[in-house]
Amino acid sequence: MRRLLLTVGLAALSAPGLAQSGQGNLAVTIYNQNLALVQDTRQLNLPAGRSRQEFPNVSGQISPETVTLNALGVGIVEQNFDFDLLSPSKLMEKAVGEEITLLRTNPATGAETRERAKVLAVNGGVVLQIGNRIEVLRDDGLPVRAIFDRVPENLRARPTLSVTLETARAGPRPVTLSYLTPGMSWKADYVTLFDEGAGKIDVQGWVTLTNTTGTTFENADTLLVAGEIGGRGGGYDEYGRGYRLPPPPPGNRPGTETPGREVLGDFYLYPLRERTTIANQQTKQVSFLDVAGAAGRRAYVFRNAWLGTLTEAASADTVLQFSSSRDQGLGDALPAGTVRVYMKDARGNAQFIGENRIGHTPMGSDVAITTGQAFDVKIQPLVVTREQRGSRWRTTMRYVLTNARPAPVAVDLIQSGLWGDVRIAQESLKSIRRSAEEAMWRVTVPANGDATVTATFDSRY
Amino acid sequence: MGGYRALLAGLLLAAAAAAGAQPVARSAGPQAVAVTVYRAPGRGPGEGMDLRWLNGFALVTETRRISIPAGDSEVRFEGVAGGILPESSIVSGFPDGVREKNQDRWLLSPGSLLDASLGRRVHLRRTSPATGAVRETEAVVRSGAGGAVVLETPDGVESLRCDGLRSTLAYDRVPAGLSARPTLSVRVRSPRRHRATVTLSYIASGFDWQADYVAELSPDGAKMDLFAWLTLANGDETGFRDAATQAVAGRVNRSSASPPRPQAPPLVLRCWPAGTTTSDLEEKVFEKEEIVVTGSRLMMAMEVPMVETPLPPPSPPPAMMARQEELGDLKLYRIPEPVTVAARSQKQVALLAREGVKVETVYRVDASTRGTGSLVVTRVLSTRNTLQEGLGLPLPAGRLVLFGMGRARPLLLGRGFVGDRAVGEKVEIPVGPANSVAARAARLSVEADGKEEWELTVSNAQPAPVRFEAQLMGGDLELTSPTPLADRDGRPLWTVMVPANGEASLRYRLDRR
Repeated sequence: MRRLLLTVGLAALSAPGLAQSGQGNLAVTIYNQNLALVQDTRQLNLPAGRSRQEFPNVSGQISPETVTLNALGVGIVEQNFDFDLLSPSKLMEKAVGEEITLLRTNPATGAETRERAKVLAVNGGVVLQIGNRIEVLRDDGLPVRAIFDRVPENLRARPTLSVTLETARAGPRPVTLSYLTPGMSWKADYVTLFDEGAGKIDVQGWVTLTNTTGTTFENADTLLVAGEIGGRGGGYDEYGRGYRLPPPPPGNRPGTETPGREVLGDFYLYPLRERTTIANQQTKQVSFLDVAGAAGRRAYVFRNAWLGTLTEAASADTVLQFSSSRDQGLGDALPAGTVRVYMKDARGNAQFIGENRIGHTPMGSDVAITTGQAFDVKIQPLVVTREQRGSRWRTTMRYVLTNARPAPVAVDLIQSGLWGDVRIAQESLKSIRRSAEEAMWRVTVPANGDATVTATFDSRY
Repeated sequence: MGGYRALLAGLLLAAAAAAGAQPVARSAGPQAVAVTVYRAPGRGPGEGMDLRWLNGFALVTETRRISIPAGDSEVRFEGVAGGILPESSIVSGFPDGVREKNQDRWLLSPGSLLDASLGRRVHLRRTSPATGAVRETEAVVRSGAGGAVVLETPDGVESLRCDGLRSTLAYDRVPAGLSARPTLSVRVRSPRRHRATVTLSYIASGFDWQADYVAELSPDGAKMDLFAWLTLANGDETGFRDAATQAVAGRVNRSSASPPRPQAPPLVLRCWPAGTTTSDLEEKVFEKEEIVVTGSRLMMAMEVPMVETPLPPPSPPPAMMARQEELGDLKLYRIPEPVTVAARSQKQVALLAREGVKVETVYRVDASTRGTGSLVVTRVLSTRNTLQEGLGLPLPAGRLVLFGMGRARPLLLGRGFVGDRAVGEKVEIPVGPANSVAARAARLSVEADGKEEWELTVSNAQPAPVRFEAQLMGGDLELTSPTPLADRDGRPLWTVMVPANGEASLRYRLDRR
């Protein structure tokens, strides 16, 4: 009889041929900083009085302390988060003091004998009491099936949230569960095709979201929020590794325009047009920006450290400059992410020429990103002389710029590290003092030629 | 194999149909593929490739023909590179665009099959060792985390294989989203059923390349024949047959970290403690071979033997040579014919060849150290990257081996490396320490006001004169010398031809003001 019941139960359980995820109407809001807010509305048939309700298939990384539950006329008595996972060992440990069924198979004849046994201990091995005998499970190495009557409470295949509810009125109603979970994050990825001759860029923007929560979110209404949320130390990349940002090339300026996007206070909202399933261990991309023919230009930048001298010329950085403004630019705010730049080769195939990260960029910004280093444009900075005059030092620098390209190039040559009251006493080309720390020369290097800049610095150290 | 694939495709379609999900169109592989390999950004010019850990990357562009069903569908591109950076993927050729792109990190394996079957009905099949009779019962997977398998059967709750019986699980279908090979999938919507040629390109990690130079010095030492290999390596589990292959020289900025690679989790079954009364007596491997079901093809260490390719000096001109093109501020080298970039292999194609390049061997010391005694003299192969000297072409970074002829056989004269050299730059390649030219520095006297007198002496044991260069102290030290000194890189340079079997010396004064 018992067996029959179990079989029926089994059949009922697996009747649809598919796992019932148990998830209800899902609304998932994903932030940039490995954080998501999940709102899960499930239909529950609650009995009157107190009842314990389980919410399977919540995020495997749920922060249980952030759970809130809303339902009409329902009070919460207590909330439990069980993370004791079901395994054969746990099953046997929980069976200590209880009876299990042993099914022995005769290796010669295949005949089966069935008996009940009480589990006495599970310490390194399983000690059983069978009638008046004490035995160790499978001590003789012969096959013995150990069959348990049921799965103990609190042992789950996945971490499970259970809530004890109290309600005066029985009946079905929607129950909304919301919680924060790490393990989901998103960023933007920009595919940029640079047409150097025309001075144009075509940009496609994709949001890339990743789910490592251990749970698949079925058919979720998904919203992405661009902007920094506090509460975590910065300085980590998307895989949690520390990084230091090099100084950005010249040509960056934050914008002041408002895009036609949904805005919530300081944040931009990017709703996905359709419901989507965010599978576990999946990277998903959805398009959000497609602009053709925006203005883009290439620049060369070289930044020399104070007293930097090189015995071998070094390549200038190749910088791509564009704008996010409505006029001539991409015409949108750009969420933080990676800009990958491609160029067409001689056969018209797009080839990758470098990438860099951008931060959250308001509309109307001027953006300059370093994509790589120029093979043919090189600079050799040299400390020519350095002499002490009274309490101050005089340092003469010489910068030799070479260009192996068949067209002239303009290089932004930056001397950084001008700390304190460093003055330029003499220079062969008028410099722009970008800040107290940096002087910049805009040097034109002729085609297949070179140019030299000399400067004498008057400094305290 | 074809039968197996058809079966798998059938299973996948069945899975989609059963799940009530959108139809799935599979693309087993590309019709045409192009691979552009980039050098590891952080690797110095003198560092070789580590074939077990390639830090460069590649841009892979694949052309695939697929039939797209009408309505919403999922198109699965199978057999992409395992090191794919999914967020870098570009898909074009779908007439109505792409709604979303997905990459599932888990591959089909015993472990992922079980994991995806949690809460589902499977078949538990037991074979009697005595009679060979097979008995199959239905079971529902109650737990599968990390190989801890708990099954609910009509008999009750049981484990898998802790009982010592021959038993296994059989599944009805491959769960959706699990593919045998690394796969990128896209969701598309099409008004009608049609065939399309789509292009998929993406950046993949686990590739690298370098130039390997072979220089042959003429007997008089005034000329060399320079040849270079384009050596590229694919450390990925996916190979590319008949690929249009390119390599890009120059520094490319990277900011994305390489993502976790696709994983095929193995199934390692776990049981309850299995100690017995005799556990401590015998060293017993508890049915280990049976219990470990390996499926971790991708996690295996890449046991590629390090091949330090011996590079013989080439005599006939190479039949196929890479062609150089400009690519923005980078240099693109195109292999003119399609080649196969096999999985986990290294390939070499001629990169450039120049005969009769004018060179000079210079013996050089850095005499800026303040010690007295002998100095390290380095042999430097020196030329300029111009047409007049016989070069005049971009030289990508790589290592160099220098050969000379002696006793009618090639002799290895030295090894060095060269960084990226643009046209017009000086090219100076240190190829090893000098054996017959020695230099020593001596402080002759120190005066009360701190002035020092030094002598630098160089001796030449060769029966021919050699060019010698010494880079002397510079910066904030005043240096006076009776012979006029050249200036190089902001430091005084003494250049002298040391006579055959002779010596040369320089006396100079240092003043630390």
